[in-house]
Amino acid sequence: MSDEIRRWSEELARDPGSLVFLQLGESLRRQGQLDIALRIAARGLERHPRNADAHDLVARIAVDRGELASAMAEWEAVLRLDPNHLGALKGIGFVRFQEGRPADAEGYLTRAAALGGAADVQVALEHVRRSSAPIRAIDDETVAVTDPQRLFADLLRDVGQTALLLDAQGCVLGGMYVDADGVDVGQEIGAHLSGISDEVRRAMRRLDVGSWRSIVFETQLAVVAMSPTAEDGVLVVAAAKTTPLGSLKRLLERCLERAARWLAHTSRAGGGNA
Amino acid sequence: MSAPYAALLHQLTTQRGVRASLIVSEGDGLVVDANLRVGEDGDRVAALVASVYRKARRSSRAAQLGGVAFLELEAERGRICAAGRGDLVVVVLAEVGANVGLMRVQLMKAVESLI
Repeated sequence: MSDEIRRWSEELARDPGSLVFLQLGESLRRQGQLDIALRIAARGLERHPRNADAHDLVARIAVDRGELASAMAEWEAVLRLDPNHLGALKGIGFVRFQEGRPADAEGYLTRAAALGGAADVQVALEHVRRSSAPIRAIDDETVAVTDPQRLFADLLRDVGQTALLLDAQGCVLGGMYVDADGVDVGQEIGAHLSGISDEVRRAMRRLDVGSWRSIVFETQLAVVAMSPTAEDGVLVVAAAKTTPLGSLKRLLERCLERAARWLAHTSRAGGGNA
Repeated sequence: MSAPYAALLHQLTTQRGVRASLIVSEGDGLVVDANLRVGEDGDRVAALVASVYRKARRSSRAAQLGGVAFLELEAERGRICAAGRGDLVVVVLAEVGANVGLMRVQLMKAVESLI
């Protein structure tokens, strides 16, 4: 248990009417302790039924539990209390997109952006807009001048999809890895995955099973796939947990092809874009 | 083969295309129990899978994606599948043509039965 969680728990025990349950519930949610987070949030909501942030917290926990209908009901309650609540607008946008209603999703996210929504709102809005735009082939010239952070942007069709190109040292070359809160955690991911390509290659040789092609892993909230690239680099893609593994592997292949073209261009240009 | 996980490992290894199954300690990469064919290097597989599983778990935590439930490593002439619970990871080493979906189901069942 972290010091903060312990402190907030003690504070809540001393004063059950305290609003500290909002921070405590959110921290527990981020740690994946969803059952406890929900109990804390539900008790807080009983004491503060007109607190929009309490409803928002319950909604976010519900989304993490895969209970979209419950989340939607809570966010609608938030908007009745506070029509300009950014979290609720963003959340409803997410649910609408998951329901296959991108136009509705775009409407809510546009409202959130107009109200000063942070980078995560812009990222979500771009995802939604891309999903309803036709896929177009990108020529080599375009690949060469693409902003490295947006290298895979047109290939990522669904909210929650993300792609990251790392070099052998785990440093980010292109793409970004956006977490559930819209924060780019690419450098952190890179640090943890650094050296994996070289390590796996050596181990595969000892096991006599040839070169490695891919690693896929399922987590509580997502599916992640990675594959080796030129010069011992690694490409990592992630998608929502509901994404079939076959579909994830196809996304990985498309991103690999894009990465290969981009790496070839930057190599010819003397690494100018990287 | 030692007793505690013998039945579990035997069930995994009798699937078509499976060459070996092991239970590995993720923390130190050591073999806890194994069902290996002659010539398979359990220690190397254990060390590799523990390391990759650990890296996957850490990167998953960094991205707020929760714990790792299943991992598949595909190579030119073989594949390794793994599922973990606590510090233990159940590992299957298989031919490249083995049925991954079936292995995944069996591994998830095996993990549930780990003490």
